[in-house]
Amino acid sequence: MAELIIAGVGGQGSIRASHILAIAAIQDGLRARVGETFGAAMRGGAVASHVRIGEEVYAPLVQADGAEVVLALEPLEGLRNAVKFLGKGGLLLTNTRTWMPVDVNIGRASYPDMRAIEGEVEKLGGKIIKIDATSLAQQAGNVRTMNVVMLGALAGTGRLPLSAETLKQVVRENVPPKTVDANLRAFELGFKAVQER
Amino acid sequence: MKLEDVIVEDVPGKRVLLMGNEAIARGAIEAGVDVAAAYPGTPASEILETLALAAPKLGFHAEWSTNEKVAFEVAAGAALTGVRALAAFKNAGLNWVMDMFMTLVYGGVRGGFVIAVGDDPDAHYSSNEQDTRFVAFYGEIPCLEPADQQEAKDMTRYAFELSERLELPVFVRSVTRICHASGDIELGKIEKPKRRPVFDKHYGMPWRWDVYGPPGPVEKHRWLHGRMPLAKKIVEKLPWNKLELRGKPKFGVIASGIAASYTREAVRALKLENEVAFLKIGTPTPLPEKLVTKLLKAVRSVLVVEEGEPLVELQVQALAKDVNPRVKIVGKRTGALPPVGEINTDIVASSLARFVGKRIPKDRARELLKAKAKPLVAPRSSTLCAGCPHLGTYWALKQALRKIGGNVPIVNGDIGCYEQGGYGIAGKEIKPSFSSESVSYPIEAPYETLDTNYIMGGGIGLMQGQFHAGYKDGRVVAVAGDSTFFHACIPAVINAVYNKVKGLFLVFDNSWTAMTGHQPNPGTGMTATGEEAKTLRIEDIARACGVESIKIVDPFDLEATTAAIEEALRGDKFAIVISRRVCTLQAQREKQFVGKRMIFDRDKCVGCKICVSFGCPGIVFKDGKAGLDPIICNGCGMCAQVCSTGAIRVGE
Repeated sequence: MAELIIAGVGGQGSIRASHILAIAAIQDGLRARVGETFGAAMRGGAVASHVRIGEEVYAPLVQADGAEVVLALEPLEGLRNAVKFLGKGGLLLTNTRTWMPVDVNIGRASYPDMRAIEGEVEKLGGKIIKIDATSLAQQAGNVRTMNVVMLGALAGTGRLPLSAETLKQVVRENVPPKTVDANLRAFELGFKAVQER
Repeated sequence: MKLEDVIVEDVPGKRVLLMGNEAIARGAIEAGVDVAAAYPGTPASEILETLALAAPKLGFHAEWSTNEKVAFEVAAGAALTGVRALAAFKNAGLNWVMDMFMTLVYGGVRGGFVIAVGDDPDAHYSSNEQDTRFVAFYGEIPCLEPADQQEAKDMTRYAFELSERLELPVFVRSVTRICHASGDIELGKIEKPKRRPVFDKHYGMPWRWDVYGPPGPVEKHRWLHGRMPLAKKIVEKLPWNKLELRGKPKFGVIASGIAASYTREAVRALKLENEVAFLKIGTPTPLPEKLVTKLLKAVRSVLVVEEGEPLVELQVQALAKDVNPRVKIVGKRTGALPPVGEINTDIVASSLARFVGKRIPKDRARELLKAKAKPLVAPRSSTLCAGCPHLGTYWALKQALRKIGGNVPIVNGDIGCYEQGGYGIAGKEIKPSFSSESVSYPIEAPYETLDTNYIMGGGIGLMQGQFHAGYKDGRVVAVAGDSTFFHACIPAVINAVYNKVKGLFLVFDNSWTAMTGHQPNPGTGMTATGEEAKTLRIEDIARACGVESIKIVDPFDLEATTAAIEEALRGDKFAIVISRRVCTLQAQREKQFVGKRMIFDRDKCVGCKICVSFGCPGIVFKDGKAGLDPIICNGCGMCAQVCSTGAIRVGE
């Protein structure tokens, strides 16, 4: 059984990433559920995709304190979901690149700094791994492959009940044909970033 | 493998990942659907989107209709000729359909007719939480309610068969957690026989398809009512209604649809498998009364778990009165489950624990830690996209309203991406006002522009009432998008002209039904299946409706747009301003729009925050100065027009 949440901002590709993970699970003979929660519009809102993989899964949503990993494409969204869903011993694997909420820009809220986010996650008994996935995606040749950098990083943690090879194959089959090479480079960069820590 | 290939793949037994909406579409495809019609609405839009991918390959008709009522009639018309038809929409969409729905059922259908509705408990994407299962109850037709994506597919497929057997439309009610969740499902066989449409006006009943034809509506209502015993008999045997009763448990749980999935997990988590009898419901109306009776007679108390209002619970309570008045029934009606919002495994687990008298140990220290962390989690209010044309239109509207004078205008909103003009700022605390006079409030961001917002086409009607009420404290304005204009605004525009309204109707025309995922509409020039279509122009329709003052502007030109809106506000007529530019996301996809290189000069920025109040997510503000996020910015150049010091410029 694996319970994960992929969190981000609309347009960052968290739903696509969650589908890639679920398809890979099915190909490895497991069952999967993905529950998507996103705002009304296309871009800019908070998005969380719940992924549940295992032999016997029914409901599409992870229970409170039930996530083993929160994969955050944006740090604040990582914190938002970690506070609610990350279980003891769980991992917040987060991109370091921020996407400022309008609430912060107009001065009605403040963005937590990374040390505060780390502190909260640790207090809740979780671990945190940070990677600059946006820069790695740029390095891979396409900033929009950031979600796949994060999938590679997730595979690199060894916390998934499925093989990195299957996952890579599913990435290959589920991204636009012209971006396959950049996405595979992104996957590798993410994988290495975690392994070489 | 792409969705368009998966969805038509005839490999029974293959396991694939499908979203609930795709599963519903696949069910219809397996049943050999002939005509499918819908209007987009989250969480149900992907049903027709998926069918439209398959339609050209399998040779059936799939269309985006101008609104849900038309979609329903298109599908119903097909079903009257004996072919299989499906209509799909969101909860609110069904409200548009009610007139035809309540009358169509009096004669029923000849071919299978499935109504697939996506409800939205918790109002993730909707203006209300209505439970449309009541509509099936009201219209005396069966309602199937899936517990997961597999059932969504299987039930939709079966619904056509059930519809033909009962000669009635059949309802498939899903919720967001089915529609917009994905699961592994096993594909079934695709039925291929092509049905030939036939017509017989006295088929099975005189004047079958003409409710006024003798024997008239009352007799036809009697016929409809007479279908229920057969429906009740059928649902007892359906695999989706299942009683698990072992030994002599004191407690029973009845769970319908997605609630059954949450409940199954909650029962497992609490290790109550041997202490609780479990009745899973797949047909909340009509209920499998024999199964329910069996449970009611076997236990002392029953918890009813369902998503929405207590439809099953009320029926179970009524049945218990006859079959076992001593059994205690609890659920949403009694406060055992929350009466609003959506449920989930956690909510069901705590309700179930209370129900059986089991304590769930609480980690108070952890709860305290979580409560302390909450203030750190800054809210993220929804925004329009970077470079969205609507940002320009809202900016221009704000400037024009400011120019004509400091009073209290009423800006009536509508449904579409631009409805975010009324989402407000989550991080801003607003206290209710109890003033007896009109009150003006500052607008810090475009998201605070709208003053009213309810439903599609609602704003243009509300504005007319404000005018006729004699509201004089400010101008009355209504806004709507292009798809909304075609969907719901035309009768209201005619009404405004006919009844001599003065005011501004501002149309945000981005050529696509963007908010629900960029579906084409009559203004796009393309059908659901991607075929070229006639492009209807809003100005032509407005002119034909008798509107005399019509202006078309480009929202990327802030000055010209402001001037046009100001002129319309100052005028003495019912005026329409059409602010037209293709949705930036869609324009980027089609390579019609390439962003400009934006230059930000930090030294010139005085931190006035005018650009921030423009509301574009590409603009950030840190340490007293603005800035552009190069990854988010789409290079539309509008912020350079807003900047008062030249700190933001368009590069070469």
